[in-house]
Amino acid sequence: MDFDAIVVGSGITGGLAAKELTEAGLKVLMIERGRNIRHQQDYTTEMKTPWEMPFRGIGDQELYAREHAVQMLNRHFTEYTQNHFVNDAQNPYTKTEGTDFNWFRSYQLGGRSLTWGRQSYRWSDYDFEANKRDGHGTDWPIRYADLAPWYDKVEEFIGVSGAKEGLKQLPDGRFQPPMALNPVEQHVREVMQANWPERRLTIGRTANLTEGKGERGQCQNRSICARGCSYGAYFSTQSSTLPAAMATGRLTVITDAVVEKLDYDPATRRITGVRYLDRNTKERKTATARMVFLNAGAFNSVHVLLNSASEAMPNGLANSSGVLGTHIMDHANTLSAIALMPGFEDRTTTGNRPTGVVVARYRNMDAMDGEGHTRGYSFQGGALQSTWTAGKRDPGIGAELKQKLQKPGMWRMVLVAFADCVPRASNRLTLDPKAVDADGIPQLNIAFAFGKEERAALAQAKADAGEMLTKAGGKVIMGFDQPGAGGTAIHEMGGARMGHDPATSVLNKWSQSHDIANLFVTDGAQMSSSACQNPSLTYMALTARAADAAASMLREGKI
Amino acid sequence: MDQDQPKGWSRRRFLGGAAILAAVVGVPLAAIRLDLFNTQEAPSERQRDLMRTVSQIVIPKTDTPGAGDVGAGDFVLLGLAHGLEKSRAPLAKDAPEALTRHARKDGSLDQAAWLETELDARAKGDFLKAAPDAQARLLAALDAEAYAEGVREHPWRTVKALILIGYYTSESGGSQELQFNLVPGTYDPDVPVTPQTRAFSSDWTAVDFG
Repeated sequence: MDFDAIVVGSGITGGLAAKELTEAGLKVLMIERGRNIRHQQDYTTEMKTPWEMPFRGIGDQELYAREHAVQMLNRHFTEYTQNHFVNDAQNPYTKTEGTDFNWFRSYQLGGRSLTWGRQSYRWSDYDFEANKRDGHGTDWPIRYADLAPWYDKVEEFIGVSGAKEGLKQLPDGRFQPPMALNPVEQHVREVMQANWPERRLTIGRTANLTEGKGERGQCQNRSICARGCSYGAYFSTQSSTLPAAMATGRLTVITDAVVEKLDYDPATRRITGVRYLDRNTKERKTATARMVFLNAGAFNSVHVLLNSASEAMPNGLANSSGVLGTHIMDHANTLSAIALMPGFEDRTTTGNRPTGVVVARYRNMDAMDGEGHTRGYSFQGGALQSTWTAGKRDPGIGAELKQKLQKPGMWRMVLVAFADCVPRASNRLTLDPKAVDADGIPQLNIAFAFGKEERAALAQAKADAGEMLTKAGGKVIMGFDQPGAGGTAIHEMGGARMGHDPATSVLNKWSQSHDIANLFVTDGAQMSSSACQNPSLTYMALTARAADAAASMLREGKI
Repeated sequence: MDQDQPKGWSRRRFLGGAAILAAVVGVPLAAIRLDLFNTQEAPSERQRDLMRTVSQIVIPKTDTPGAGDVGAGDFVLLGLAHGLEKSRAPLAKDAPEALTRHARKDGSLDQAAWLETELDARAKGDFLKAAPDAQARLLAALDAEAYAEGVREHPWRTVKALILIGYYTSESGGSQELQFNLVPGTYDPDVPVTPQTRAFSSDWTAVDFG
């Protein structure tokens, strides 16, 4: 065998898997489909001003419509960050008729760890027990207590700033000092607590350092993270896991290598390695290992498994249950309310805080008080001031307009809902039987729709958000109760769900295939439910836990 | 010269004009790359003059340069050609003749040609030869119509939006008229507003969502 372990993908979970496995003494190969991006050397737009950019940071919309028709819909996609997202024309996928799904992707070393929103929340037992409680999906084989020590470990490594609030539904973590609320947010927090004691607004828990950590510097309050950060102030593969893994001397990294299939030996019922395409030379190559961690991103990990079908496993690798590809999810996401917030005109801020606020879930916890839904929603957002861009919306020209736009504008408060997505068998990934990409690899087909539960949750969220901001003295000017397209939250997950029963789930409680002992899937594909929190921290905790278990199994000769 | 280039469009003239402008008003060259224009759609010199004049009326020179001074006019033309502010969206099927006569091949409105026609019509002659106060008055009337109650879309809104972008993302607009700090270092959540306070053009959240 060439390696002890192969890690497919180098993003948030792939990088962490490589770190944990190499630190456990294993010789690891990490394979990344995209190009190499070197920390501090290849963040080419990091220090650019708008006037240094051909399209002033907004970008060439004509080009984007041709080459980045999906990615351009992502609010993090700009002229500064366009090189951190895929070219949609070169990376096609198909959708079943009636599906509205935008798949936002970053194919490069570091994957979406370079562009992620950095919001880092623990899940609670309201989340791990959700499927069992309301009967949707399959029960998680773990509970919060199983994961708590791994959350500790991950938070301490990646650095999460946040405020302890003592909430059962949003457990506190090992936080760095929190970033500060601005006066409008502080006011809304106080009004909320006075009127609805169970509702808590707190500063976003974000993987941006408020204190330096090793070689990583503290956040400079630029809030341009997706360009790449040479200070290493937010968690990314480049800033954090890759240096740690490389320091062991046991990591090999290959970039520009698209994993097409895993090789499976029916005699031993083990994976023997991976087959990959060298994107530059178009050569097809193999690498062998004693075990494989799939961390290609939820949908791409499922794609690899489906594309690895063989005579022995005709429905896809690790799919004796038949549920591979099913029960995919993304948070139902919409702007619930935006309100003008008068009374703070004499206050402003300096610096750019790289996080907003969060209002922790408060529905359907101990009392089932959801109207037409059984799960939760939370809000993210914050208070901000308008600026010169408001001039586009208003009449006026000349010196008076110029004078007006010179000042910080009106305060407004925004609450965006993230609602739990019910796991449904009909929301699923398959290989398109007709469409292949330029390299002849079958395209992924996405079938996805939100249901009445998500719509009911967002309707209640809109009503709640409007009521809270009005109570705080705001004038609500807009709000929506319908979800955006699937994928909008960029929290796509599921497809290789974890469960107790090999007949109804793909993975066991160690993120390990029920069918194949030396195969682990530790990215978003393993999720059995979605909760309403941002999921990356949980993916990381599950990855650290699985890596520890896998290394032990390997040492003990169990795999 | 490229044979496809329309009359009046010359790289030498463009650069020469910009350099003279920079020398006269003491501002940096507008960072507009010529190669970003599709030669089939490159603007005429008159359109460039008109857009510079209009930009300067929308954001005039005060203690800092105006939008025309910093090359916002050329940025508007570039933005219109490349679909910024949805400028390449197809015209509505029931769009009036005043717009459809300026449709591009792709069905979108050629806003620069429309504005040229519109302002000349309002000036009852050559808008560029009208007195400055008359130009300002005519443009103010157009602006008022474009933002009148019940009006949801108007080509002037697109042009005005690009003027504002061109100005506030220029070095003068972004860092002299407003403040600019790419590396603030710290975040102060509560700062008193004083008569001297100027907004930060580097407040990206405000720019994106404000």
